[in-house]
Amino acid sequence: MAIPIRVKVNGQVEALEVAPDESLLSMLRERLDLTGAKEGCNEGECGACVVLLDGKAVNACLVLAAEADGHEVTTIEGLGRPGALHPLQKAFLAHQAVQCGFCTPGMIMTALSLLLENPAPTEEEVRTAISGNLCRCTGYRQILDAVQAAAQEMRAGAQGRRP
Amino acid sequence: MLNFLRLSSLADVSEMLWADGPVSALIAGGTDLLVRPERLASARILIDISNLTELGGIGVTPDGDLRIGAAVTHQEIADDDTVRRHAHLLAQACAQVGSVQIRNRGTLGGNLANASPAGDSIPALLCLEARVALVARERGRAVPINEFFVGPAKTVMQVDELIESVRIPLRRGRWVSFFEKAGQRKGMCCSKASVAFLAQRHGDRRLTGVRVALGAVAPTAIRVPAAEAALEGQVLTLERARAAAEACREAARAIDDIRSTRDYRREAVSALLLQGLLPLYDRMRALARPRRRSRRRR
Repeated sequence: MAIPIRVKVNGQVEALEVAPDESLLSMLRERLDLTGAKEGCNEGECGACVVLLDGKAVNACLVLAAEADGHEVTTIEGLGRPGALHPLQKAFLAHQAVQCGFCTPGMIMTALSLLLENPAPTEEEVRTAISGNLCRCTGYRQILDAVQAAAQEMRAGAQGRRP
Repeated sequence: MLNFLRLSSLADVSEMLWADGPVSALIAGGTDLLVRPERLASARILIDISNLTELGGIGVTPDGDLRIGAAVTHQEIADDDTVRRHAHLLAQACAQVGSVQIRNRGTLGGNLANASPAGDSIPALLCLEARVALVARERGRAVPINEFFVGPAKTVMQVDELIESVRIPLRRGRWVSFFEKAGQRKGMCCSKASVAFLAQRHGDRRLTGVRVALGAVAPTAIRVPAAEAALEGQVLTLERARAAAEACREAARAIDDIRSTRDYRREAVSALLLQGLLPLYDRMRALARPRRRSRRRR
């Protein structure tokens, strides 16, 4: 049974036919070639597949594609472009918060969802927010620093834009 | 061959369950269903109930209950001011479910329907003496939470029933509460052991209406009457806290399984109760200390 859905992905409306048991993660990767979100554990433990669903961080492996019908999805590909990176992407590079890179898209999307709700988080709040995201390379220190640096830049940017 | 149906009214879902309940699976947040491929494979019809407005919302009913819709997520409960005011313990427990990604999807109704002995909302709801509102095509009933679970993954729900909401009686007075859990890591969903505590605090420092419940140490979450009795009507002392912790250890009918051992779990519930009671002891002592009449120059 193919289920017709309409879902807005990174600002663009996609009309797709998905299988009833197809995950949002496999829809993004296999149908839309958006391979930024990674399949790590496929059971909601590792956070490598995190995307935003209506602005909130979710594990794309635990959402059915059919359930995303009528909703809005943002993936790491929707964040920045080469030459015009998002503050979080820039900060992850600057702070060497990336080693193998497998956790990075999920980590950045989780951090983004935090900063959208809480532009000035404490380190404890950042730690709590990323507790569902595993990184086996960095030891997390660089990631925490990167998120704080990005938060600062995003706050400065928001202030700069005010008339 | 799996079918997927997105229904937009409770009446339609009830009709479907009445006709096809045995071969249907309900999906709201999906955080539990999607990690159990065997359950997904055994279903012929997947009914998406996440968009049903009747299952949403948090509010106070005319008859004085806090009502939380079954499809409300753990994060919504943790962040909600009405819940924090009237059932702070539930907000405390929901804030500790899984990771933020899980809390953004997983629902209160799902936590109950899955009936895991380790479900984090359950010890809190036991302390709060909640009722589970069930609906079916032509009937409805409210089941006290202590009668809702029959065993691991088993509830009193009939095949055509679904959870509409959870009802929590409003309380007067000042209440103190905590939820403590032990697990492999903070951001993971399954508790090895958990403790929920609720009591009314009086001006003379006595605690009444003491409720203590444990998760993951028996086939279902359990209240611990002996621990409650050790604290009921008394001023909290270290001796009484230790006696209540010992009662929790005795009450834990834990098993060895993939997540932990029986001995660890029995130690854990005792330690978790103390972990919550000791800061409370300090706080209550600080409150009781008489204020200095006149303030000298510093």
